[in-house]
Amino acid sequence: MDSHIIKLHKVNFYYGQTQALTDISMNFGQNRVTALIGPSGCGKSTLLRLLNRMNDLIDGTKVEGEILFEGRNIYAPNIDPVEIRRKVGMVFQKPNPFPKTIYNNISYGPKLTGVTVADMDSLVEQSLRQAVLWDEVKDILNKSAMNLSGGQQQRLCIARALAMKPDVLLMDEPTSALDPISTAKIEELIEELKKDYTIIIVTHNMQQAARISDETAFFYLGNLVEYNKTEKIFTNPDVKQTEDYITGRFG
Amino acid sequence: MRWRYLKQSVFFGLVSASALIITLVLGGIIFYIITNGYSVISLDFITKPPTDSMTKGGIMPAIIGTIYLTVGAIAIGLPFGIASAIYLTEYARQGKIVRIIKIGINCLAGVPSVVFGLFGLGFFVIFLKFGSSILAGSLTLGFLILPTIIGASEEALKSVPQTFREASLSLGVSKWQTIYRIVLPNALPGILTGSILGIGRAAGETAPIMFTAAAFFTAKLPSSIFDEVMALPYHIYVLATAGTNIEATRPIQFGTVLVLVGVVLGIDLIAIIIRGYMRRKKRW
Amino acid sequence: MTRRIKEIIIKYIFFLFALVSVIVLGLIVSSLFREGLPVFKSVSLKDFIFGMEWYPTYDPPSFGIFPLIFGSFIVTVFATVIAVPLGVLAAIYISEIAPQAIKESLKSVIELLAGLPSVVLGFFGMVIVAPWLQETFDLPTGLNIINASVILAIMAIPTISSISEDALYAVPNEFKEASYALGATKYETITKIILPAALSGISTAVMLGMARAIGETMVVLMVAGGAAAIPESIFDSVRPMPASIAAEMGETPYGSPHYHALFAIGMVLFFLTLMFNLIADYASHKFRQTGSATL
Ligand SMILES: Nc1ncnc2c1ncn2[C@@H]1O[C@H](COP(=O)(O)OP(=O)(O)OP(=O)(O)O)[C@@H](O)[C@H]1O
Ligand SMILES: [Mg+2]
Repeated sequence: MDSHIIKLHKVNFYYGQTQALTDISMNFGQNRVTALIGPSGCGKSTLLRLLNRMNDLIDGTKVEGEILFEGRNIYAPNIDPVEIRRKVGMVFQKPNPFPKTIYNNISYGPKLTGVTVADMDSLVEQSLRQAVLWDEVKDILNKSAMNLSGGQQQRLCIARALAMKPDVLLMDEPTSALDPISTAKIEELIEELKKDYTIIIVTHNMQQAARISDETAFFYLGNLVEYNKTEKIFTNPDVKQTEDYITGRFG
Repeated sequence: MRWRYLKQSVFFGLVSASALIITLVLGGIIFYIITNGYSVISLDFITKPPTDSMTKGGIMPAIIGTIYLTVGAIAIGLPFGIASAIYLTEYARQGKIVRIIKIGINCLAGVPSVVFGLFGLGFFVIFLKFGSSILAGSLTLGFLILPTIIGASEEALKSVPQTFREASLSLGVSKWQTIYRIVLPNALPGILTGSILGIGRAAGETAPIMFTAAAFFTAKLPSSIFDEVMALPYHIYVLATAGTNIEATRPIQFGTVLVLVGVVLGIDLIAIIIRGYMRRKKRW
Repeated sequence: MTRRIKEIIIKYIFFLFALVSVIVLGLIVSSLFREGLPVFKSVSLKDFIFGMEWYPTYDPPSFGIFPLIFGSFIVTVFATVIAVPLGVLAAIYISEIAPQAIKESLKSVIELLAGLPSVVLGFFGMVIVAPWLQETFDLPTGLNIINASVILAIMAIPTISSISEDALYAVPNEFKEASYALGATKYETITKIILPAALSGISTAVMLGMARAIGETMVVLMVAGGAAAIPESIFDSVRPMPASIAAEMGETPYGSPHYHALFAIGMVLFFLTLMFNLIADYASHKFRQTGSATL
């Protein structure tokens, strides 16, 4: 009956000596969209990168507490971070396609992770369709991905992540580098994806959080201030700080 | 007020003059070598061995020898250099060992070429009993250019955007696969152009091969890596300083200098041009 | 699990490759010691370093290398005196004054100059500079200190100039802008702001240029003249250490005291250049800390 796919229990995180997250306990619901909001530097990206162990790449970091993904502690010594990252995909703030063809951008992950794909062509198509990019690129699959527009590149990156068939999709301000039209397209896409995926998204855009998410978590200075239904957060938050932030009276 | 600008003009004059002098020195040397050397160059000069105790004929064995030694140096220097750089940029975490490695590379870069020659003689030729040979010379030259190649490779690897690595790793691709499929292919052009400058150096060095590989004259072309070879730089040195026919072989000396300079600067120039082209084309 | 083990093994393989430089350095030192130390059975360290007579083939031989050390120093010092102003001023031209197009070509010129094989420069010194010197100053030989210094300077200029240029380039733009904002001329900005800020980087450049000059072999072998005596004028011949090694190694029987003596000279040369490089390294570390934060 447990519908929480990721659970954090008393998580502390440090970059060297400086603590970036303090005593975070929260659960992420399966097939839900959770938005992480808060002022710059409050630790949203840090939290997101904890969930697929991307923070491992940074020297001198330390994690305390428990982070359970599907019931397993992903920081346990016998866990291979590579394994976790296959199940927990990520989309970055700036579109970062590989300097390869569109097709090879998508097939890159499945090919290298040894998933046996019966039909790579249809996986590529399926992923691009899911990311609502297929119609735009179906005739130029062998062109370099670097020639696409920013919004197209970002959807390509989403398709690339989807091709791995992850359970969770982490998105760190995926639209902050995009124009309004591309942003709208990606928001629609998120709405669509939520049927099959658990999505955790960092955003600085309050309307965006309100539009697309089911739950919202507000962070401040490395602390989880309030975590509630999005509706509630944006209409009648429990904590005064949250209200100040949302209404722009923060300071 | 005038005084201030006068001082400035004098200073700018000096500064520009320095740049001009350096350009003229290079231009002068190259011009001098070309005007004196070109009349000697012919197909025979490049494809025939020396005759009449080196006072006539061509320099083909020296060209072949230099090619062998340079290729050998690349075969040693490039893999070791690239692999070291991969460790330093992709795997190493800051610490004592990395510091020691970096200091070691810096010190190696500063070792004089004649000391490399002594090392090659003491270690490869005598201790490992390779004799004076292509093998000993290539190993010596290969380690001589190692720091250059490490430096070039490190720079090229660092210029691959971190976001490429993150994107690949976030897909659950392992670190080695990420390096092999994403980082290396994107760094390779930079690694190669940077390394070419080291390769040019290997082709032109004399002191390291004097005691480890180079022969005054060989009747036959080498048949194994344990043979001695003639080499262009050593050939120049020998003809210009030893023997009784220094004046008689002057044209051959100029011809050989021209060939060597042509090869080395040609290699360098190609690297410089490719690098400029890549910089302009770079998309990230 | 197997993938993780594979990854760890790969990492350690690369680590071993990275150790190669250190291992080679160790082999260089141990080879020099192994072949060089036996000379001290025939001569004391003091007599070796400070001995005034280098007669390695006499009977009994004499292994005093002081004239060789002196020869190395004198040509290095003169080469530095010539190369530093040219190299540093050219770097200033490239980084602060030259228009973009000239800048790029000048950098290529300097790179090509660095690429000229030393035997070619030595040859140039022999056939051009030497006859000219001999005629102009009416000398017995044009192969002498001044000739070697000029050619060594040509070799050291690219090192000095390119590293100085990096140092000048690294001076934060805000310094320059602040200076111009105060109404300073370009000349004043360069001499009062940019040069002082780049000073330790330029010292690194000079040290590395000197290290290059003192270790250079073919040039001093071909144009320094080869006299193993303390010179009395800049038109005298000298026999710097690398020249001795290169010239004599070919004619020395393996295992003879002379052979060991040449390796011992190699040791001296190695430690001298090591010293120059370590000083350069030290200067460059100081220089790295001179960012906008410390000023
Ligand atoms: N690699 C790092 N090394 C050291 N400190 C870091 C590092 N990355 C982030 N920090 C620090 O950790 C804190 C949280 O950073 P984080 O990037 O998680 O913030 P954020 O909420 O994502 O901010 P933004 O909205 O600007 O993206 C900040 O104080 C930041 O300075
Ligand atoms: Mg962030």
